[in-house]
Amino acid sequence: MRTLTISGLDKSYGPARVLRGVDLTLHPGEVHALMGENGAGKSTLIKVLAGIVDADRMTLAVDGAERRLAGPADAAALGLRFVHQELNIVPSLSVAENILLSRHTPRRFGLAVDWAALRARAADALARFGATHIDPGARAGGLSTGDRMLTVLAGILAADDTPPSVFVMDEPTAALTHAEADRLFAVIAELKARGAAILYVSHRMAEVVAIANRVTVLRDGAVALSCPMAETSKEGIIEAMTGQPLADAYPSRTEGTAPGRDIVLDVAELSVGPVCDVAFRLRRGEILGIAGLEGAGQSEVLRALLGDLTLRNGRVTLGGEPGPRSAAEAWGRGVAYVPRERRAEGLMLGRSIAPNVVLPHLQRLSRMGLWSRGRAERVEAEARGREVRLKYDRLGQSVATLSGGNQQKVVFARAVAGTPRLALLDEPTRGVDVGARGDIYRSIRRLSATGTGVVMTSSDLPELIGMCDRILILSGGRQAGIVEAAGLTSARLLAMIYGDRPAEAVA
Amino acid sequence: MNVAVHLRRYGTLAGFALMVIFFAVNLPDTFLSARNLLNVSQQISMLAVVAFTMTVVMSMGDFDLSVGAMASLAGVVAATLFVAGWPVGWAIAAALGVGVVGGLLNGFLVSILGILPFVATLGTMTVFGGLAFVVSDGRTVFGRDIPAGFSGFARSGLELGEWRIPALTLVALAVLAVIWLVLEQTPYGRRLYAIGGNIEAARLAGTRVKRLRWLAFTFTGMGAAIAGLMYASRVASANPTQGDGLMLDAIACVFLGMTMSEEGEPRVLGTALGVLLLGLLDNGLTQMNVDSYIREVLVGTIIILAVASGSLGTLRRR
Repeated sequence: MRTLTISGLDKSYGPARVLRGVDLTLHPGEVHALMGENGAGKSTLIKVLAGIVDADRMTLAVDGAERRLAGPADAAALGLRFVHQELNIVPSLSVAENILLSRHTPRRFGLAVDWAALRARAADALARFGATHIDPGARAGGLSTGDRMLTVLAGILAADDTPPSVFVMDEPTAALTHAEADRLFAVIAELKARGAAILYVSHRMAEVVAIANRVTVLRDGAVALSCPMAETSKEGIIEAMTGQPLADAYPSRTEGTAPGRDIVLDVAELSVGPVCDVAFRLRRGEILGIAGLEGAGQSEVLRALLGDLTLRNGRVTLGGEPGPRSAAEAWGRGVAYVPRERRAEGLMLGRSIAPNVVLPHLQRLSRMGLWSRGRAERVEAEARGREVRLKYDRLGQSVATLSGGNQQKVVFARAVAGTPRLALLDEPTRGVDVGARGDIYRSIRRLSATGTGVVMTSSDLPELIGMCDRILILSGGRQAGIVEAAGLTSARLLAMIYGDRPAEAVA
Repeated sequence: MNVAVHLRRYGTLAGFALMVIFFAVNLPDTFLSARNLLNVSQQISMLAVVAFTMTVVMSMGDFDLSVGAMASLAGVVAATLFVAGWPVGWAIAAALGVGVVGGLLNGFLVSILGILPFVATLGTMTVFGGLAFVVSDGRTVFGRDIPAGFSGFARSGLELGEWRIPALTLVALAVLAVIWLVLEQTPYGRRLYAIGGNIEAARLAGTRVKRLRWLAFTFTGMGAAIAGLMYASRVASANPTQGDGLMLDAIACVFLGMTMSEEGEPRVLGTALGVLLLGLLDNGLTQMNVDSYIREVLVGTIIILAVASGSLGTLRRR
């Protein structure tokens, strides 16, 4: 039961002042949300707390007594524990081994691993927050993302040295389903009740408003807002993050850009991955959302439309002809694709901006397909970059040095470059800050206004409702229906994802 | 950019310059003479051709261990066909054909079957090496069996005023020009670098990864065959192991070149500098009567130093 206070935290990388006089107080039994756009300094603050990065100036006190924080060992001794978005588990080991990875393994005769004791201790740790459905003997790699998160948490709680008093959770729900997130919130409530302080970093506004007791917003490395949650609101937080009042979060269609009559894409009886019987028709300029629980098959449907996955069954018709059979053919026929994992599937991180943007368009930008024109490629990259409001220092900098939001804009610039007739967007705003989200939404609207048919997935339900014309719901391994987005509420959509019958029949 | 990045990019160049100065001071009359430099250019021409084509597969993040064995094989194929009475042109075409087929085989194993390049080309290296013995019956073909028209090529050259550019040097320069055009100036080359940057992203962005990767291996097969023929022409003989040493040196040259490129990727002009560096080092040490085994030790050390200075830039970030 301790209060951790940081004051006057300064940190610069060269000339860039990343954190400027940041004060932060974590009270026991409180969830403290830390918010800010990408690049506002959240990650640096977390790294300072973890002892990975040294602050230039900082006073750290526990219950008023000044303490030292000069390395990860100090952070651990202060009772700080970290849960990152990327979960550090060893997929080939069992759940029990992962939970007790950093502990002394129980032995028999001082030599052989005492597997029974190992499992019992792991099961204990899991049971402490009701995760009894996880088998300690199961291979950790086979767990769902949510169960992995619980495994990591159990591992932290199983620590028998200093009792943890501060948990730092960095975007813990980014990869979780709604049910898994709910279980995590239950764990957080339990930790809170035991007197732990929780520093909770998330882009998901609704979540933060629901679970945090107090919020601190960073903007450009300085504290822009810090108050109890009851004294502010979603609008207040967004205003503090962006420095400007919130316009409409989801830009609406401009006059005269309603979807046309022509069918761009016709999908019938499509079965791929975990889903069967997906059928819809997409009109010119229409935005169709695909909603479902995590792993319900949204990504697979998009990959199938791209021609990158073989269909178990079904017909895809693109512009009157059979659908593409490879990603190369798809791009060639005017299909643009924004993959779910931009770092692993979207970008050449070590390369500069221009090659990343023009990659699918090399043929078009070359002379007769034989001769590349470097200048034309750079001009194209710059023009598309402007279109998506990409922020960079020089066109030659590697995309690894861009913020997450700007990396996503590079992937978007690539997608809009060919004025595609069909755009497939898999979680287009995943891990993207509020400001960049607005730019991406505007890009999607612009695409749709030029007649591009858009199919997008998102686990952010308000985003789907705000952006899409219709939403296709995947539930229980099949298409549960297609509903008009206008007038839909998140709660209603969620209920349909969980299996309530949609009000309207299949369109 | 920080100091480490500069050290990485310019460390190799600075070392290169120091080496040239060292030899120029110690061998004042000979080392920097036009004659010696032209001689070096001929000595390194075979290695250069293999290294340039190796750059193509390494731009995709792959490599080809079979090039040395392929060079030997192409040499003995041509020589054996000479003995069988084939015309020079046809024998050369057949040897180059063997190179293309070998390259296609490597590409098939790596790209279509998905075998790691290390394992696949290690396998074909052994196969090609064995075939070279089978074809030649383990003997060296030399003397009157090698037509004068073939061995004369390596001795010919282009008269330019008082200098004479050796024909083999011209071949290497031609290969350099072709590879530079392919890698730097065509959509094909851009796509190979994209594959090297992130193979999954390249595929999802519409790159025909399998086909391109497959075809790229024909460059190394062909380059190795050309180098094998150049070698056979130069020494007017062919034996089943004479090209084997090219593989490690060629990969080393590409690595040396990579340390000099901005994004740490293989660029063919960088490879050319790497080849020059190794060639001049070899030449200087020979002139100073340094034992050839010492030379091996030095070459290995230089490569490790160059690549280690390259990883300096990344070490600090961990």
